Amino acid sequence: MKKSTVNLKDKVVKRAVNSLRKSKRIEQISFIAIANELNVSVEEISEFYTTTEDIFLEAQKKDWESLHRYWDRHIKKSKTPGDFKNAFEVFFERFVETLSEDADLRLEMSCYLPKCIKYREKNRQKVKQKFEKLIKRGWPGKDIKVLERQSELVTVLFYGFIDHIVHIPKTERTKILRDFRNMLNLHLQDRKFF
Amino acid sequence: MKAHIQRKVKIIQRAMDSIRISDKTLHTISFPRLAQELEIPLSELTEFFLSVEDIFVNEQKRVNRKIENFLDNGLKNAKTANEAKDLLETATLKLIELLPDYSDLVFSASFYLPKCIEERNRAKKYYKQTFRKIIKKGWPGKIDTVLDRQTDLILLSMYGFYEYCAKVGKRERKAIHKDFTNMINLHLQDRLFF
Repeated sequence: MKKSTVNLKDKVVKRAVNSLRKSKRIEQISFIAIANELNVSVEEISEFYTTTEDIFLEAQKKDWESLHRYWDRHIKKSKTPGDFKNAFEVFFERFVETLSEDADLRLEMSCYLPKCIKYREKNRQKVKQKFEKLIKRGWPGKDIKVLERQSELVTVLFYGFIDHIVHIPKTERTKILRDFRNMLNLHLQDRKFF
Repeated sequence: MKAHIQRKVKIIQRAMDSIRISDKTLHTISFPRLAQELEIPLSELTEFFLSVEDIFVNEQKRVNRKIENFLDNGLKNAKTANEAKDLLETATLKLIELLPDYSDLVFSASFYLPKCIEERNRAKKYYKQTFRKIIKKGWPGKIDTVLDRQTDLILLSMYGFYEYCAKVGKRERKAIHKDFTNMINLHLQDRLFF
């Protein structure tokens, strides 16, 4: 995709989010207003998006695909349990680092708009599978059932973490990330689970 | 159950079924249309609710009210640390029992519909204060900063747990419950936090 196209798409997302922040109403987001603000034609915008829901869905996909690419690179080069543990931790760090200013609104849309909810659920499964792989290699010796239970639990907590972290100021996010990772590590070392 | 309440419960259940089938964004569902789909006069619907948003906020408040009463009474009656510890476990069990099948829809609504967002924010503040009191009583000896940090972690874990339970059946909710409470207990005993 051309750089100018990527830029335009990013700008459209930003304007849509700004509009949502001001009006609090999805139906107030207007393609015409966005086109006017960006000095482009409505056709240029509707080339990529047909509805407001599409704008948020594409933004959600873009964020997650980028995060998965980064995560996969770390998983791919992992060889030892220590590397896999590190890949597990790196994911949370990267997630927090790359959260946008408007992460709260993006989360709200991903939990509310039907297409975004579907993508969120699909992605949740993908995240869970990766957690399972990393727990298996990073904390070896667990049987399949334990692995399944622990990856489910880690996923449950991670989704609670997302909801929490997008609603707090950036400066506080790193602090809670450390505690959150400690909590997960403690849980993954729990002897009851072996 | 009184006939009036029975009718209200029936209307909520049917409304939720209809909303699920329509697969529409919640704020686009008109009340007259909903009455039409339910094949009841609009007046019967407006006897209980004034809008779709009202149906959702009513459901959200109903569950919150019950859990809040349970926690308030539990906290008042807890004489020992063990009783306070048990409260977190029994409250999550209560949540599992209370959440109806359509909780996923209520969960979604709480991220966008204004009254639902307001209720969500109010409840979050309440849970934060109450969990802090429970942790203080159940795991005595923690200093204030530790209490605050652990309260945040328990709060985010609980919201992750709530999201999961809202989207799965009772059997799956119960399956994860034990692991979840074990993990919470393990975390609250963590020596790193003392």
